[in-house]
Amino acid sequence: MALFAPLAIGRQALLAAERAIGVTGHNISNVNTPGYSRQTPLLHASRPDDRGFGTGVELRSVARSVDGFLDARQLTSQSSLGGATTGRQLLDRLQALFPVGDLGIGNALAEFFASANALADSPQDLAVRNELLEAGNALAGQIRSSAGGIATLQREADQRLGQSAFEANGILQNLASLNREIIAAERGGRETNDLRDQRQVALGALASHLSIQVVEVDAGVNVFAASGQGLLIGTDAATLTTELDPTRVGLDGNPLSKIGITARDGSVISLSGDIGGSVGTLLGLRDTTLPADSAALDLLAANLRDAVNLVQTDAAGRDLDGNVGTAFFSGTGAADFQVSLTSPRGIAAAQGAILSDNTNALALAGVAQQTFPALGGAKLSEYFGTLHARIGQEARSADDNATIQENVSEALAAQRESVSGVSLDEEFTNLIRYQRAFQAASQIINVSNVLLDDLIGLVR
Amino acid sequence: MVSRITERTLVNDFTTAVSRLRRQQADAQNALSSQKRLREASDDPVGAARSTRLRGEAKELQAYRDSVTIGRSTLGAQDGVLNESHDILIRAREIAAGLSGGLATPEARQTAAEEVTELERGLLALANTTVGGRYVFGGLATVGPPFTGFDTPGFSPVTSYTGTTTPFSVRTARDEAVRITTSGGDVFNSSLQALDDLRQTLEAGNEPTASLTALENAAEDIRQERASVGGRLARLQTRDQEIGNAVLTAKTLLGDVEDADLTETITQLAQVRNALEATLTAGTSLMQTSILDYLRL
Repeated sequence: MALFAPLAIGRQALLAAERAIGVTGHNISNVNTPGYSRQTPLLHASRPDDRGFGTGVELRSVARSVDGFLDARQLTSQSSLGGATTGRQLLDRLQALFPVGDLGIGNALAEFFASANALADSPQDLAVRNELLEAGNALAGQIRSSAGGIATLQREADQRLGQSAFEANGILQNLASLNREIIAAERGGRETNDLRDQRQVALGALASHLSIQVVEVDAGVNVFAASGQGLLIGTDAATLTTELDPTRVGLDGNPLSKIGITARDGSVISLSGDIGGSVGTLLGLRDTTLPADSAALDLLAANLRDAVNLVQTDAAGRDLDGNVGTAFFSGTGAADFQVSLTSPRGIAAAQGAILSDNTNALALAGVAQQTFPALGGAKLSEYFGTLHARIGQEARSADDNATIQENVSEALAAQRESVSGVSLDEEFTNLIRYQRAFQAASQIINVSNVLLDDLIGLVR
Repeated sequence: MVSRITERTLVNDFTTAVSRLRRQQADAQNALSSQKRLREASDDPVGAARSTRLRGEAKELQAYRDSVTIGRSTLGAQDGVLNESHDILIRAREIAAGLSGGLATPEARQTAAEEVTELERGLLALANTTVGGRYVFGGLATVGPPFTGFDTPGFSPVTSYTGTTTPFSVRTARDEAVRITTSGGDVFNSSLQALDDLRQTLEAGNEPTASLTALENAAEDIRQERASVGGRLARLQTRDQEIGNAVLTAKTLLGDVEDADLTETITQLAQVRNALEATLTAGTSLMQTSILDYLRL
């Protein structure tokens, strides 16, 4: 009977080496799989026999090399990175609406007042009057297109919210089914390493949309938004919804959507608190940054309009036909800001009956030096300069922040790689180890076989 | 610090380093080709605002310079006109002096009256001088001449001036406006009056002794106005230089804010290229090292 024991041990060893080679092969094949955590065959000496003699080796389970804390930090980092990248993209586009150099509102403003000064030199010259009108049109066009660009960006942010919600729902569904599979597999005593890797990747993708808290309960994960609202409880995924909110009007005059979780009764409960991720950034841009910049532009346009019109419609002012001037600019803000004067003759350059007078044109040019209490005591050009610098600073901060988050995310990825990454050097070394073990186990069987042969020969 | 280095760590580090260097290279290349360090507001937010302000200032200065140019041409024309007008008065005074003695016959005086008539016409023509279609002694208006012609029925030197009496100023700085017109009546009324009196006296064959003082006073009026014009012209010339200097300063400052430092950029480009080449060499050689080359399974 004792001679069969080595044969059994050899068979066990062969099996264990074979499986270990399988695990190593699995690691090597997944060397480039995103989110894959390297697996290690856990070999144990099998239970000794009744006399305490060893019975060989056994591969009971395969371990997954992960660091739970690192995974949690990576989720946080993914939220920050998602938010920062979205912010960088949109704010870069915002600053492109306010170019530097010989373009943009600041230059158009200077151009307009320089033309007003030229009008003061030649108040009756139609060509000069036309130039002022054109400079006004160019300025109004610049202001309108910047305001329009901001409104378009806001609309885009709103649409991106819808897309984020759509993607997040897909991920939540995926997570729910992964939870189901993992719970079932672990109850059945099967390995869930690869499913867990997949679930971690899905959590990362969700985190880039919005900040999440993850709690693992009985092999499943529960996911909560930063506000504590449940997104996924076990296998039950919530649905994020965006629906148009008629009470929230965008810069383009159409309603914006509100994002929330659909409750069981079908009502939408808004996401609250520090939402984070790209959704948080999009909401911040849509509801705070872009409206503030747009409001600043509106204020500039309104003050420019009022100050120029005040001079233009002065009761003592006279246009080239001897009439009191009519409004130069019209519009309620920046988006509809335009020159309402159609004829260059309509510019009121003179004061009093003498049409070669330039007093009113000088007053018009003087608007450039006027300070406005509504603009914080700044001149028009200074106010725009402040706005321009603010937008540049916002874009720069967003860019810096995105770079920082990229670095953080890279550092974390390197740390994760250090714990969970597949090293081909290691795997090949292991491969040799297991190959040798396999070869040695074959020898055990071989020797046992020869011994058995010898024994049977005795009988013959 | 990471302790366990896998192949992917090497690859990630390598690609990150290369893409960062490539971005720096593209940045430097961009700065070099545009010669600008300020290409969008986020490159230097405060600089962007400064650049807009400086460009605005340069435009404003250019507008003042245009005003100064118009002022100089207008005042220059006035100066010329006043000089010639003065010559006319001197000539009239010569005629008056020559015909004041008892020796001059009434016929000679009547003949001389013809010349004085021409002088008076000439003075009126000078007073109606235009620069670019605008009457320099009529408030720079473009509608009809400010002085009615000598041949207009009912011509009188006193009522000849019909132009504006409002002075016309151009702004040459934020807080400086220079008057570039004078009411033509104030300048030429005394001269026209004196010439007209002389003409009438001579036509009547009378002795023009009384006109001598009137002509001298009229010439004094012209000289005074000429001094005033000269003073303002000198101010505009100075202002022109001041503006020129200010524009230069604004452009220099603008260059400081906007322009790339070429030496620095080129040095930077060379540094980045060196780093990139080193990274590529080291990275590719490291990544090519594999345990597979040494194994015989």
